[in-house]
Amino acid sequence: MQNKSNQGGGTVGDWINDRLPYRQFVEDQLTGYYAPKNFNFWYFFGSLALLVLVIQIVTGIFLTMSYKPSADGAFASVEYIMRDVEWGWLIRYMHSTGASMFFLVVYLHMFRGLMYGSYKKPRELLWIFGMLIYVVLMAEAFFGYLLPWGQMSYWGAQVIISLFSVLPGIGEPLAIWIRGDYLISDVTLNRFFALHVVALPLVLIGLIFFHLVALRQTGSNNPDGIEIKENKGPDGKPVDGIPFHPYYTVKDIVGVGVFLALFFAIVFFAPTFLDLFLKPANFIPADPLQTPEYVPPVWYFTPFYAILAAIPDQVGGVIAMGLAILVLFAMPWIDRHPVKSIRYRSFLYKALLMSFAFGFIVLGYLGLKPATTLYNELALRFTEFYFMFFIISWVYSEPRSRNYYYGAFAIVVALIAVIDLVRDMAGISWIALLVMIAVTAFFLLLPAHTRLNESKPVPERLTS
Amino acid sequence: MSNGVDNNRRHFLTVATSVVGGIGVAAMAAPFLASLRPSARARLAGAPVEVDVSKMDEGERITLSWRGRPIHVVRRGEDAIERLGEIRDRLRDPDSDSSDQPEYAKNEYRSLKPEYLVMVAVCTHLGCSPSFHPDPADPAMGSDWPGGYFCACHGSRFDLAGRVYRGVPAPTNMDIPPHRFVDDNTLIVGEDAEVA
Amino acid sequence: MMRTIRKLSLSALVLVIAAGSGAVIADEDAVREWRPSAANNDVTNLASLQRGARYYMNYCLGCHSLEYKRYQRIADDLELPEDLALENLAFTGDELADMVKIAMPPEDAEDWFGMAAPDLTLVSRSRGPDWIYNFLHSFYIDDRTVAGTNNRMLDNAAMPHVLWSLQGLQKAHYDEEGSFVGFETVREGRMSHEEYDRTVRDIVNFLDYVGEPIQTDRKRIGFWVLAFIGVFTFLSYLLYKDYWRDVK
Repeated sequence: MQNKSNQGGGTVGDWINDRLPYRQFVEDQLTGYYAPKNFNFWYFFGSLALLVLVIQIVTGIFLTMSYKPSADGAFASVEYIMRDVEWGWLIRYMHSTGASMFFLVVYLHMFRGLMYGSYKKPRELLWIFGMLIYVVLMAEAFFGYLLPWGQMSYWGAQVIISLFSVLPGIGEPLAIWIRGDYLISDVTLNRFFALHVVALPLVLIGLIFFHLVALRQTGSNNPDGIEIKENKGPDGKPVDGIPFHPYYTVKDIVGVGVFLALFFAIVFFAPTFLDLFLKPANFIPADPLQTPEYVPPVWYFTPFYAILAAIPDQVGGVIAMGLAILVLFAMPWIDRHPVKSIRYRSFLYKALLMSFAFGFIVLGYLGLKPATTLYNELALRFTEFYFMFFIISWVYSEPRSRNYYYGAFAIVVALIAVIDLVRDMAGISWIALLVMIAVTAFFLLLPAHTRLNESKPVPERLTS
Repeated sequence: MSNGVDNNRRHFLTVATSVVGGIGVAAMAAPFLASLRPSARARLAGAPVEVDVSKMDEGERITLSWRGRPIHVVRRGEDAIERLGEIRDRLRDPDSDSSDQPEYAKNEYRSLKPEYLVMVAVCTHLGCSPSFHPDPADPAMGSDWPGGYFCACHGSRFDLAGRVYRGVPAPTNMDIPPHRFVDDNTLIVGEDAEVA
Repeated sequence: MMRTIRKLSLSALVLVIAAGSGAVIADEDAVREWRPSAANNDVTNLASLQRGARYYMNYCLGCHSLEYKRYQRIADDLELPEDLALENLAFTGDELADMVKIAMPPEDAEDWFGMAAPDLTLVSRSRGPDWIYNFLHSFYIDDRTVAGTNNRMLDNAAMPHVLWSLQGLQKAHYDEEGSFVGFETVREGRMSHEEYDRTVRDIVNFLDYVGEPIQTDRKRIGFWVLAFIGVFTFLSYLLYKDYWRDVK
């Protein structure tokens, strides 16, 4: 690409480029940005997350034009949007569906990172910014969920804010400070509105900017987990890289098409999505005097909610829930195994990660259901497994001696046993305890005696 | 890199995808822009308004709101109606050719019945609401004032049919809304009269 | 005629029901088994919606408002001419532009029923059409309640059986273990079971429509949107395949 310098004459493009170097920008960010050529299905979700962000911002702006953030007017104004505003129903359904799709896309994006080791050196900060985005997104969704001012909005917010009140000493004043009142009221709704439509979107956009800057610095990881920058051709470009534009722009557009088909299928044909995206009780105006029979959070919070509910101690539950999110931030320092991609990790690590994903989904399901003895037991065990994943990942980070595995096994079993000692054991708990010990043995004793934890050799070049 | 690449096909597909994508974006923009139009609530708030004019004296004015805009109903006396014909040459658009009114009000009185003026009392210059000076002897309005409207914002003058004077900023006469009489005493603003 | 029934005072209704229950003679053969079932209503059925709207205005609107719903929208969507709609749906004094409100002050409702009757604009979204359908089928005589009736779907329902003159009155039957078996009609209504079933389905259908007036249009539009996205995705796929022939 030659650098046209033009003194006088030239096109309008030249005139602009002399003052605003957009060509350099396109060159740096798109045509000259080399991405690994082997991106698969899992690599669509980054660009799709950006798309959903745009959908949420645009629909959100238009909703704000008709929404009334007051306890008296909020519920009615949402129905006003649904009924009286032309196409208001479409904009509202796009926003409510968009919220759920945002989390779906982000969860898949995060799982991609876990599978291919995208959090590992040199991408630790990239991962941390991603996690910050995730946490802010949860806050954004939480604040937004209060705005329709239905029963679920009200009592969902009530439950979550009450979590803060368990903090010793400062808890209750903190909860009152968050609400700005002694119960959730007009004041709370107003500040949540401000946070939802102004403050957090700004924070989110800022974090996404840093996430992208960090990505451009290190370059994308890929399903083989091989750094393409380490294998450059004579022209100085990675041999296994291709320009992001046009190759990945045209590919991402296909992803956008498929995604939009799914998105609008939900918007037009199942906007409540089996009562998961819009809950029936939220079509009843908020009533501070009457709690609905069961107040499950929206599906994207339920894995963590299940962890909260699984711990038979109020403070312990809140700590476990917070820890479950925070521990993900530390992932780059927990799993330090030199092989990035799951393709070349051991059989046992594959089993571990898949079990973790499965457990996360089960926790999500359990969080939607009213508690029963069986569900409580399952929630507790899958919570234990959730945390076990990180311990075992850490153990797997480097070759360990046989005794090391024995020791790790003993410690994990002891931790599980301690939890069981401080609670009431039902009949089923004993069976579950045995299963947990068997699972621990599977992951921590097999490596000591078999070759199931050996990685495969990583190839020099990308495979496909 | 371009070995064996059919550039025509690639060009065609690029254009086709861009065009279809562009249509999609435009189609998506349409409902968003349409959502900014008056909602069903606003449109139905523009329902016709009924006025009882039986108790109005000559020179009296009733102000009401239709579609959120101030509507003046003025009962003009015999001499006021007469004066409307005398000031033609002082007006910018005496025949209301470039002004906004229903066909049946495109006359000297700019109304269905000469006696009653029904008008959107909003100055056509920049939207102020002009004040009502029906009295020809009003000292504030000068010696040859036949009665009419004066807009304090930028000094526009109108006669008692809402017709604008020459040499003032307002470009056209004030708007006349659709109106009809159910009977002699009942006026409906917001519905057109059936004129043969 | 129907208006009169709506205005029938509540105490009189309870008296009638009590009289009915006095005349109950248990006849095990007459017990119809009953369990909740699907409403199977069809919101695209205009005739059913129109009937449902009329039933609603006559039997339900005495107590239950539809405060987010305009008469005008009902008239438009149900293809009722405006004058007919004004006459058949809206009470005297209501304009088509108005929301479907009730005349009864909430305090009166609280005096009579112990609670204000809930607004039903969104009941089909919070409870679901099936629930309403089963609710309207399962009133039975119960002397222990103020209203004189109880309901299988909502225990101790404050609402009396407003449609009793249509359905008649029924008594709940239980087996030896005390679990519910079915109903026995102890007083015939003006309608047969099939007619009453259709009436209830019409009301449910109307409420389903009121809960989300756009639902029929939304699916129709959705079809075209998805077809368009299909074309776009197909084209972009061809473009992608074309470009990626470069990539070895």
